[in-house]
Amino acid sequence: MININNLRFAWQKEPIINIDALSIEQGQHLFIEGSSGSGKSTLLNLLGGVITPQSGEVEILGQSLNQMSSSQKDSFRANHIGFIFQQFNLIPYLSVLENITLPCTFSIDRKQKALSRSGSLQKEAIRLLSALGINDPALIKRSVNELSVGQQQRVAAARAMLGSPDIIIADEPTSALDNDHRQVFIKILFEECEKENITLIFVSHDATLKHHFSHHINLQELNQVSIKEAL
Amino acid sequence: MAILSLAFKSLLNRKLTFFITLFSIAISVTLLLGVQTLKTETNSSFMKSISGTDLIIGSRGASSQLLLSSVFHIGNTPNTIQYNTYKKISQSPAVEWAVPISMGDSHKGYTVMATDLSFYDYFSFANKQHLKVDKGAIDDDMFAVVIGSEVAKKLNYNIGDQVIVTHGGGEIEGHHHDNIPFYISAILAPSFTAIDQTLIISLEAMEAMHTDNHGHFGALPGEQILPSDNHQAHSDHDEHEHHDEAIHEEHADHDEHEHHDAAAHADHDAHAHHGHQDTQEQRVARLLKIKPEKINAIFVGLTSPQAILSMQSYVNNYQAEPLSAIIPAVALQELWQFFSLAEVALNIVTVFVVLVGLLGMLSIILMSLNERRREMAILRSVGARPGHIFGLIIGEAGFVCFAGILLGVALLYLLLFTLQAPLASYYGFYLDINMLTSNDWFILAIIQLSALVIAFIPGWLIYKYSLSDGMSIKF
Repeated sequence: MININNLRFAWQKEPIINIDALSIEQGQHLFIEGSSGSGKSTLLNLLGGVITPQSGEVEILGQSLNQMSSSQKDSFRANHIGFIFQQFNLIPYLSVLENITLPCTFSIDRKQKALSRSGSLQKEAIRLLSALGINDPALIKRSVNELSVGQQQRVAAARAMLGSPDIIIADEPTSALDNDHRQVFIKILFEECEKENITLIFVSHDATLKHHFSHHINLQELNQVSIKEAL
Repeated sequence: MAILSLAFKSLLNRKLTFFITLFSIAISVTLLLGVQTLKTETNSSFMKSISGTDLIIGSRGASSQLLLSSVFHIGNTPNTIQYNTYKKISQSPAVEWAVPISMGDSHKGYTVMATDLSFYDYFSFANKQHLKVDKGAIDDDMFAVVIGSEVAKKLNYNIGDQVIVTHGGGEIEGHHHDNIPFYISAILAPSFTAIDQTLIISLEAMEAMHTDNHGHFGALPGEQILPSDNHQAHSDHDEHEHHDEAIHEEHADHDEHEHHDAAAHADHDAHAHHGHQDTQEQRVARLLKIKPEKINAIFVGLTSPQAILSMQSYVNNYQAEPLSAIIPAVALQELWQFFSLAEVALNIVTVFVVLVGLLGMLSIILMSLNERRREMAILRSVGARPGHIFGLIIGEAGFVCFAGILLGVALLYLLLFTLQAPLASYYGFYLDINMLTSNDWFILAIIQLSALVIAFIPGWLIYKYSLSDGMSIKF
């Protein structure tokens, strides 16, 4: 599913990523533990094809990102990967519905998958929201600024899931939530990813979340650069 | 398209800065187009001052001076031409019509122009329009005066009012021809030319005021009391051997007619309805039927436009006296060139105003970039290319500028419609409201294009940011 080999990335001659090998299976729920400064956002950018490594290889779904042009990488990301970030995931001037259907602007594949599933983007958005525990259909017309942080993160999750991407990468998606909401959010996310057979990569500094996952990696151990830095 | 709609929604999210930018561009567009409109309107109002006249003939001198004095009634030509010359020229086969013009007097600062009735038939302005009478009727009476609309309005004159003409241009220094009052027979409709600020009298009356003793016929040097009846006036005249030839001849003529008193009375009776009593001088002048001797200019219409150049050279080489003939359209164009410097200066200023408006837009977009890096990172994560982000900024600038242009054009027309009536009534300037000219469209296209080009600066910056930031949100 995802294979990383001898990946090296440096920013202004400062090495940030040095990963010899990493392999993630299809449908796996992987927890990557990493504190800030461990190079996790760089790793996510490398997986998303937003930045290009100096050497090494990232292979996703059997396709090597290195061999793609940057615009091919952008469409590949749009078609196959959904992202959820820590907070402020949403575009403030768009409504809930517009935020959820944003990937369709850049990926015809995901738009068609969403349409074939529910018939319309709006119906699919409502279906995803209710699966994520938001049962108020009127909410989708509202401004995202009126939502609570918990609701915003579910809207972000719905956006990441729309059109069934192969992979969801979640970067500290629960750090802005309180403990109860955190548990509920992770539970729902798991259920939905399992149903859709989506590979989930969950990155967090919070080791207490580790027990939810079948697989986990410590980025500080994996990334040889950050070990040096930590020392 | 999706990116443009995003750009639009993003703009609406920042309403305050959006509207400030919008207005600064709109105002600069209004100013630029307003100056263009004013320029073309001034030019066209200038060019409309006279039309249908093929040549203006005056004594030899600068063509601009002849044009200014005869058409715009600015300055005066001390040089005159013989009335006989006018007669000769009007009989020339190429000439369809010729109207004599004489200047030099004023009334409360307004020009008094003497001509004959053919002026109303042949003089035209703008699109070959003739002068129209608003009130009263054009009277062939010697002491009738036709006044321009502006004169009537500013001095609050009505039909039948008496007018005293002043010698020379100034109100203070001039000699008042108060012994020859005129009565207003007609008020002209506004033509938005110099005629609006002009009083038109007959050539004969002008001559009556300007005979060698300023029209004081019958007054002996040192005489205190004017003779009260015509008979005596004439006997007075008999003693004056120094009178003009013309007057003398007329005088001699009159001596042969013993019934001249009756004629004078009949004449007087005919005009009794004006409610004015002719003064002594007027009665004498009527009797003498003084013919003008000298005039300032001749407006000439030719039988065919092909004759213009040959007629002009004929006039310029006229043997009896030094004359020059100008083609009004050409002379107007030449005169307009004098204003081109002011035009250029005005253009430069307005171009800078537009530039300032666009720079305002640039700085506002640049300021928004930092707070929008999060927005850009989110867009990148859902698959937007750096090119999309670049397009977002360009689209935003393009939209602000386009809306600014629309608003600016709307403001311009609002301004034009509001100012049209006051400009016409207070300044005698008729603002013709037209569609945007191709030049205006060109200017608007340039502004729109400059906005897009200027937006390349923030566009390029955000492109660079989105490459280095990727999906990571940096605060």
